[in-house]
Amino acid sequence: MSETKTLLALFQDLDPAADAIDKLKEMGLTEDQVNVISGIPVLERILGRPVQWTNVPRLAFGGAIAGFIIGLLLAFSPATYPALIAGGQPLVPVPPSIIVVFEMTMLGMLLSTFIGVFLDSSFPSYRPMEYIPEISDGKIAVFFACPADEEKKFVSAMKKLGAESVQPAEAQQL
Amino acid sequence: MDTTTKTPESGAQQDTVTQGKWGMVIDQDLCTGCQACVAACAMENNISFVGEEDVNYGRSMHWIRIERFWQGSYPDVKMTPYQPVTCQQCHKAPCEPVCPVFASLHSEAEDLNLQVYNRCIGTRYCANNCPYQVRAFNWRDWVRPDPLSNQLNPDVTVRRRGVMEKCTFCIQRIRKVEDTAESENRDIRDGEVVPACAQACPANAIVFGRIDDPTTAVSKLTNSSRGSKLLEDLGTLPRITYLKGA
Amino acid sequence: MTASSKALPRISVQQEEHEDPREHLMLDPKPRGEMNAMVMESMHTTSWKFWVVTAILSIIVAVCLFGAWGYLIAEGMGVAGINRPDYWGIFIVDTVFWIGISHAGTFVSALLRVFKAEFRRPFTRAAELMTTFGLVQAGLSIFMHLGRVWLAYWMMPYPNERGLWPDLHSPLMWDFLAINTYLLCSTMYLFLPLIPDLAMARDRSTGWRKIFYRTLSLGFRGTEGEWTHLKNAMNIFAWAILPVMFSVHTIVSWDFAMATRPGWSSTIFGPYFVIGALHSGLAAVVMVLFVIRSTMKHMKYFIRPEHFDALGKLMLVISMCWAYFFFNDYIVQWYGGDQWTKILLAFHEQAPQSYIYFTMLICNIVVPWLTLWNRKVRRTPWLMFIIGLLINVGMWLERYVIIPMTLTINRMPFTWRVYHPGIEIPLGIGTLAFFILLYMLASRVIPLVPVWEVQEGQMAHTLRKVGKARVKTVSEID
Repeated sequence: MSETKTLLALFQDLDPAADAIDKLKEMGLTEDQVNVISGIPVLERILGRPVQWTNVPRLAFGGAIAGFIIGLLLAFSPATYPALIAGGQPLVPVPPSIIVVFEMTMLGMLLSTFIGVFLDSSFPSYRPMEYIPEISDGKIAVFFACPADEEKKFVSAMKKLGAESVQPAEAQQL
Repeated sequence: MDTTTKTPESGAQQDTVTQGKWGMVIDQDLCTGCQACVAACAMENNISFVGEEDVNYGRSMHWIRIERFWQGSYPDVKMTPYQPVTCQQCHKAPCEPVCPVFASLHSEAEDLNLQVYNRCIGTRYCANNCPYQVRAFNWRDWVRPDPLSNQLNPDVTVRRRGVMEKCTFCIQRIRKVEDTAESENRDIRDGEVVPACAQACPANAIVFGRIDDPTTAVSKLTNSSRGSKLLEDLGTLPRITYLKGA
Repeated sequence: MTASSKALPRISVQQEEHEDPREHLMLDPKPRGEMNAMVMESMHTTSWKFWVVTAILSIIVAVCLFGAWGYLIAEGMGVAGINRPDYWGIFIVDTVFWIGISHAGTFVSALLRVFKAEFRRPFTRAAELMTTFGLVQAGLSIFMHLGRVWLAYWMMPYPNERGLWPDLHSPLMWDFLAINTYLLCSTMYLFLPLIPDLAMARDRSTGWRKIFYRTLSLGFRGTEGEWTHLKNAMNIFAWAILPVMFSVHTIVSWDFAMATRPGWSSTIFGPYFVIGALHSGLAAVVMVLFVIRSTMKHMKYFIRPEHFDALGKLMLVISMCWAYFFFNDYIVQWYGGDQWTKILLAFHEQAPQSYIYFTMLICNIVVPWLTLWNRKVRRTPWLMFIIGLLINVGMWLERYVIIPMTLTINRMPFTWRVYHPGIEIPLGIGTLAFFILLYMLASRVIPLVPVWEVQEGQMAHTLRKVGKARVKTVSEID
C-alpha cells in the first residue's frame, strides 16, 4: 500500500459535511478511514455514518451487579460478627438491607458508567492529537486518511463541497 | 425456666446462676418525692454538676428524675403520686437500632440496655427515640468543684462532653455481686444487688432483683394487681413495673 | 355592549401570537463562536464589586463558620440551643434544608432532561453546581451536629482491629450511604456534560487557565466516539440519578419517620420531604438564576423571562403537591391521632412560636398560589427572586417546625421544653455564606452555561408554518 496522508477538512455546517462524507465514500474510502470531530454531538444518521459502538451501557450493567453484590455483603455479613443485638430487631433485618443494597447498586452502576466513559474514550489523554480549536466554535471537521498521491484530488473535492480549509492533520498539544 | 446461662466470654455452661435478668419495681404510693434516689444515683455514677443555668434549660444530667403532677388549680390542688422515671431497660428498646455506631446495645444475658460511652459519637438519635426521655447527653465538660472530685466512684467511668449516658441499673454493683457469687460458687441471693437508688430510698419504694426467678421479691411485686408499665402500649417491654392505686 | 346576542364576545387575541419568536432562546440562535465568546467573557469579566463581596463572604465564613465551629468543638454542644427533649435543632434543620436545595440541580438536570423539557438547556449547570455546593453545606451541618465529630469516621464501614462495623439498622447509616452516593453521583453528573465546555475553554484560554482547562478536559476533542460515550453515559445518569435523588430525601425523612415521636412517626414523610426538597430547590434555582442574570455579563442572552416563566409554572404545581402532602399529614393526625399528636398540633398553632408555623404556611402556599398564576409575574425575574426567597424561608421554617418544634412535645409532659437556638444561628449563616462564596468562585473558572447543549437545542428548534400560524417545532436530533 502506498503511503497515506491524514487530512482535516473543516466545514461550517452539517449539510456540506454530510455531502463531503458521501463524496469521500464515493472516492473509495471506507468508514473506518473517516472520522468526524464536532463541537456538538451529531447523530450518526445525519451524516450518514454508521452508529458508533460504545461499551458504556455494558459497563454500567456490570457495575450495577458489582454494586448489588457489595450491597448484599455490606448488609448481610458484618453484622453477624460480632453479634450485636439492637432493639428487638432481627440481627440482619430485611427492610433496611433493601435500602443498603439499593444504594450500593446505584452507586456501582453510576461509578462504572463514569469510569466507562474514561475507559472508552481513553481519558485522560494529554498526548498531542489532531485537532483544530475552531471545532469548539461549532465547525465540523472531517478527518480522513487518503493515499498520499491522491491528496490533491481529495483536497479539491473537499474544497468544492464547501470546506473552509483542508490541512494535513498534525498532532499538536491540545 | 432455664437456670443455666452461657456467658458470652467463656462460652461455658455454669451450674450456678451468676447472671440473671434484672428488673425493678417502683411503688408510687410509697414514694414521698424526697429525691434521695436522685442524689444517691448522682453520687454513685459520677454524674456531673451541671449548674442552675443549664438545668433550667433542660440539660440536667440526672439519670433518675422524680416527676410530679397535680390536678386542679389553687386552692383546690390535688397532688398525684410522684413518678420516679429512670431508664426502663426496655426489652425492645427503641434507642438501640437507631444508633449508627452500635453504642446503644442490648445485653442478652442480663436483659439490660447498654450504653457504650467509648463508642458514642453523639448523634443523639437514641435520646430522641426514647419514649421515656431518660437519656442524658453531656453537653459540656462540666467542672466538678473541689473537694467534690474526691467523691468520685472508682467503679464507674467519667464521661466526656459529646457522649450520651443513662441509668445502667447500677451495672457495676451487679457485676460486683456476680463476681463475688462466682468466686464463692453460689447463686446470687435475692436482695444482694441493691442499686444506689434502692439503697437510698427511705420509704423502700424501689425494689430490685432478678425477674427471671419467680421467688424474688421483685418478681412477686411485678405480678401485683397494682402493677402497670409506663407507656405500655408502645410495646417497648420495659423492665420496671410501677405500683399505684388500690 | 350590544343588545343583540348574535355575535359572541370576541376572545382577546393571545399575547403569544404577537410575540417575537426570537424571545425564545431556542429560536434566537447565535453562531457558536459568539456564544462561546460570551460565556468566556462572563467568566473573565470580574468587577471590583465581586471582590468586595468575596472578601466580605470570606470573613463571614472564617468567623461564623470555621471560628464558631472551632468554639463549638472545644466547648461542646452546650453552646448550641439543644436540650432535652429537643436533641436535634437547627443543625439538622440546616442539613435537611441544604439537601433539599441540592435536589434542585438533579431535578433540572435529570428530570427535565428525561422529560425533554427544552427550556432547561441554559441552566442545567448552574443548577448542578447548586447541588454540589449544597451537599457540601449539608455535610458541614451534619458534622456540626455530632457530639464527638472527631470520631465521625466510625460511620464508615471499614475493617478494623475491633471487628466493629456501623449499625445498618440505623437510618443515620442509610443517610450516610445515600448522601455519599448522591454526592458522588451528582458530582460525576456535573462533570460529564462539563467536559466539552472545558475543552472549549481550553481552546480559548492562555496561561494558567489553559493548563487548568487542559488538565480537566482530559483531552476531549469531540470525536464521534467521545460524543457517543458521553451521551450514553449522560443518558444513563439522567435516568439513574432520579431514583437516587428520590431515595436520598426519602431516607433523610426516615431519620424522623422511624422515630417513635408524636408528629414524626408518619408514613407520608417520604414523599412529603421529596416534594418539599423540590419546592425549596426550584425556588433556590430561580434565585440563583436571577443573581447570575443580573450580575454576570451576557447572561441576559441565555437566561430569559421564558425560563422564569417555565420554572414558575413548575413551582406552582409543586407548591400544590406540597400543600397536598402537608394536608394529608395534618388531617390524619388531627382526625385520628393519639392525644399526644393532637397536643402537638395545638402547640404548633398556639403562641409563643405559632408565628413560625403560620409564616411557613403563608410562604409555602399563599405566596405561590397568589402570584404564580400570573404570566406577567412569572416573567419578571426580580419578582420571581422575591417569591423564591419567600418560599425558601417558608421551607426552612417548615423544617424548623418539623424538628425542634415537634420535639418539644412527647409522651412525658414533665420533659416538655421549648428550643432556643444558640450558636446555630452564626453557624447557619456561615454555611449560607460559604455556599455563595463557593458559587461565586466557581463562576470564575467554570463556564456556567453549557453552550454545546444550547447550540444543540437551537439546531433542533425551527419555526414552521402550520395553517395560518408559524409554530415552534422541535426535532429529536439527540
